[in-house]
Amino acid sequence: MPSLTVQLASLHQQGPVLEVRVAVGQDTENAMAKRNDKPKDPVVAVAMIDTGATGTVINHDVAQRLGLQPVGVCDINTPSSAGVPCHEYLVRLVMPRHNVVVETVAIGAPLHGQHIQCLIGRDVLQHAVFIYTGYNNTFTLSF
Amino acid sequence: MTELLKKEIETYNVHKTELLGKAKGKFVLIKDSEVVGVFDTKMDAIRQGYERFGNVPFLVKLVVEVEVPLEFTSNLLAV
Repeated sequence: MPSLTVQLASLHQQGPVLEVRVAVGQDTENAMAKRNDKPKDPVVAVAMIDTGATGTVINHDVAQRLGLQPVGVCDINTPSSAGVPCHEYLVRLVMPRHNVVVETVAIGAPLHGQHIQCLIGRDVLQHAVFIYTGYNNTFTLSF
Repeated sequence: MTELLKKEIETYNVHKTELLGKAKGKFVLIKDSEVVGVFDTKMDAIRQGYERFGNVPFLVKLVVEVEVPLEFTSNLLAV
């Protein structure tokens, strides 16, 4: 069972964040290979595990850098807006140091600031065990 | 924000009643003004879209009567 444990200086202040590589989905890669196109290199991103997110989100910038094309649309509600239409993209989230690869359909949306470029939502967490151990500043994600 | 799939969304709306009658709860694949097919899973529909059209915009959509927005409690989302 692939599993990763991350220790941070202050889990309380930083939240459950980790570095991931966002790559094009396997089907995207296969389709590009058929046409002799080479997929762009994965984008290194800081991701936050967000149990308050129905779905996974990637910043617009990440989708553009990967050359992703939308495969769907959805409406989202946030604390400050309702029913905002967004594109969906097929992506792979790779955690290379931990031998974890997750394929999912991510929502493309702007994220505030430069710090977080990805939210890992409950679409991914539904396949996982997520343990938040606040007293020693660690969290564990197992698939 | 969804300009790239404007035509596909219009196509879905044109065919919505018909799709609800025969494919409620399934996933429809639409490219331009063509309803390409109906699939049991979202990933099957996406795979078919890539195999048929390549890395270009296409629409995979759950056929439902009432759209339910996805919820986000985080204020990191700038929308």
